[in-house]
Amino acid sequence: MLFKKKAKADSLLSDEELVAELQHSMDADRFGLLYDRYVTKVYQKCIGMTRDKELAHDLTHDIFLKVFVNLSKFDHRSKFGTWVYSITYNYCLDHLRKAQRQRSTQVDDESMTEDIAEDTYESELLNLRSEHIDEVLAAMDPTDRTMLLMKYQEEHSVKEISELLNIGESAVKMRVLRARERALAKYYELYPEER
Amino acid sequence: MSQNPFQIIRPSDQPPENLKKEVIGNVKRIMLLMRFMQLFMSDFGMAFFENIRLVGRNDNSVHDPKP
Repeated sequence: MLFKKKAKADSLLSDEELVAELQHSMDADRFGLLYDRYVTKVYQKCIGMTRDKELAHDLTHDIFLKVFVNLSKFDHRSKFGTWVYSITYNYCLDHLRKAQRQRSTQVDDESMTEDIAEDTYESELLNLRSEHIDEVLAAMDPTDRTMLLMKYQEEHSVKEISELLNIGESAVKMRVLRARERALAKYYELYPEER
Repeated sequence: MSQNPFQIIRPSDQPPENLKKEVIGNVKRIMLLMRFMQLFMSDFGMAFFENIRLVGRNDNSVHDPKP
């Protein structure tokens, strides 16, 4: 009875209040509440980035353990959700980059000019056929794929992506621009009849 | 008016049911490990300082100033 009352009271707490409680004293049941609130989004982001349900399962597991172990480092300056998604994107990207083991396409983004035309290729990209987009994304570099998903699926602003990935806003703009270019190139390579 | 194709392909999969059990089970293991570590570390520290104090105690007679 007492347990049920505590569980109900906990479920009324905001994420940040729950985290504050957890920072004070670790409690697996309370952490379970945070898990319930975020697992679907984290899992779907992992699927989007990896295109692999089994891998997404493993990554989601690891991400939640990472969140738990690092809870004491959450400083309440951002929303808890933002912090969790930041861990999600960065963890998936690290994993995919390690798995890919190819760094040849990495270019120093920061050295590029900052003045970028925002809408270059954007309307063309958004008019591509959705049934082909999935295959194009699957064939892309993990970093490019992540940038496109964050920008066009999650609809994060440049500032938000910059905060989530801990990179500068100009770097975000450049990466999105390049990802758009590569996505279109890959699209026409896979479906030349669409040109 | 065409819809954003990225929204159309948004994953709608639900996380596997057993995932929560796995995560919370491992969270409990980590908590246990952390408690053991705390216990060990605090004992280690106490033992360390206890030894220093004991050495100090042995030296009491030497430091005891006599007029």
